[in-house]
Amino acid sequence: MSALIFWLLAICAGIGALAVVMSHDVMRLALGLGLVLLSTAGFFVLLGFGFLALAEVFVYAGGVLVLVLFAIMLVHRGEPGQPSLEVTHDPLILVGCVGVFALLLAVLRPVALQLQTSSGGSVDALGSVLLGDLLLPFELSGLLLLAALVAVVSVMGGDRR
Amino acid sequence: MSALLTGAAWGLAAASLIAVAALIGVWWERKVAGRIQMRFGPQEAGPAGLLQTLSDTLKLMLKEDITPTAADVPVFRAMPFLVFVPVASALVVIPYASGWAPFNIATGAVFFLAVPGLSVLGILLAGWASQNTYASIGGVRAAAQMISYELPRTLSVLSLCLLAGSLSTGTIRAEWRWWWVPLTAVGFLVYFISSIAEVNRGPFDLAEAESELVAGYFTDYSGIRWAIFMMAEYGGVVAASLFGAATFLGGGLGLSGVPGALLFVALTALIATAMIWAKWTFPRMRADQLMTFAWKVLTPMALVQLLAVGIALAARVVLS
Amino acid sequence: MSSLVVSIALFCIGLYAVLTRKEVIAILVGVEVMIAGALLVLVMLGSHAANGASIHAVALLILVLAATEAAVGLGLLVAAARRLSTTCVDEMTEVRG
Repeated sequence: MSALIFWLLAICAGIGALAVVMSHDVMRLALGLGLVLLSTAGFFVLLGFGFLALAEVFVYAGGVLVLVLFAIMLVHRGEPGQPSLEVTHDPLILVGCVGVFALLLAVLRPVALQLQTSSGGSVDALGSVLLGDLLLPFELSGLLLLAALVAVVSVMGGDRR
Repeated sequence: MSALLTGAAWGLAAASLIAVAALIGVWWERKVAGRIQMRFGPQEAGPAGLLQTLSDTLKLMLKEDITPTAADVPVFRAMPFLVFVPVASALVVIPYASGWAPFNIATGAVFFLAVPGLSVLGILLAGWASQNTYASIGGVRAAAQMISYELPRTLSVLSLCLLAGSLSTGTIRAEWRWWWVPLTAVGFLVYFISSIAEVNRGPFDLAEAESELVAGYFTDYSGIRWAIFMMAEYGGVVAASLFGAATFLGGGLGLSGVPGALLFVALTALIATAMIWAKWTFPRMRADQLMTFAWKVLTPMALVQLLAVGIALAARVVLS
Repeated sequence: MSSLVVSIALFCIGLYAVLTRKEVIAILVGVEVMIAGALLVLVMLGSHAANGASIHAVALLILVLAATEAAVGLGLLVAAARRLSTTCVDEMTEVRG
């Protein structure tokens, strides 16, 4: 059963990723990203990382993707259906990417085969890790978010006289 | 396999609950709105006009399903469902009984806040795919509003999670004590207001402001697809009211058995009626007022609420 | 094993999009796909490790970093599109805006 769901999710992710590579229409591009993000969240659930999946949906599909759509609406005002994005395919880059794929697979395969199956742990354990061992990175990520907020406001509002 | 079947069954149950709630809700809203405006509301079809919504639904189903020529057809057709499904899925994590929700996961409260947020995408893309200026403006407004009000809403629910010591909705209801009500009164107010804004209803209905945008993001939709957008809106109201009554008010204020269940339904209806009341009483806000209200009033209020809950919990530990 | 193939494939498709696309927005979306693939590799390997909760927490922090990157990137994109009136990386040749 979970194998079936896994392959369904894999097909969805594949379609989304191909749309990101091939689409001429900006909106389809963003929809492809949405498909990739949602199927990634599905994979997280399958692997036992429920909270991460919800965070992905909350932050990415509900936040970042909307930001991408906003940016598209502010920047591109083309008609849908008409190609508004240029797509250039380069066989050399394709070969390079396949090479990277083979390399990564060869490096990571032994690691993946060695390990035993468990899961992402309970929410309680996650909370203790975030507020225990990883407290400093956790607080720093809050600081980073604040810095990003200020940065975006200053970049976007800067040209208003 | 069985998990998938149970999930599908609960999804179907949620969709039917929304359909029934929308049938009754539209009638109730028109009645309440009529009374507020010193009219009677619908009263021709059936006793007290009860069958009015049913006949309207039939009419909507028989109407032609128009797709504009300039629209991005597949996206245009799919978007009502992308708006409806996330909203309906919120219903499966609501604790209908103490310690029990249909989909009782350890992170139910996060699910309730995160997954319905996906309908923002549907609304934004519905506006874009229509290729209509009014619809695009409506979609952008709706998205900006929904993202902004998600923050105070999340923070207000967070104070409940802090009190219960859990993110599970079932546990929140099981742990509920009467003194939570005075302690989280401000949080409940924030939750109530930002829930209205989340479902784009008046006085926060800038996304579908008929005096400026015709009907906002669903200007070009007709017939059954338009009805699905309306169902999603009522579904949002139902989910927000059920969740508010089940967690902030502890279901039937902590009562068990039949009186508790009846009180739970009554409190839910009360919250939903208050939402209708707000829509027909307050004038629509301006876009800048809307944002100012979210960021400068509701968010600080929710943060102060969170602080108060934290202090109360600390004081409890120190005193005992 | 198959999830390893899928996540690496996702990463490489994202990489291909980043390398072939000319529009800033498409490159950013490609980067997001790459991050999704990389996160999936981490989580997949983490789901096999004994200390699942630590991997979970690290993945959450990466999610925050990626969201920050996307927000700042999109802000820069809109600002650049306004000032240079182009969204194509090859046409952004001026250093002064």
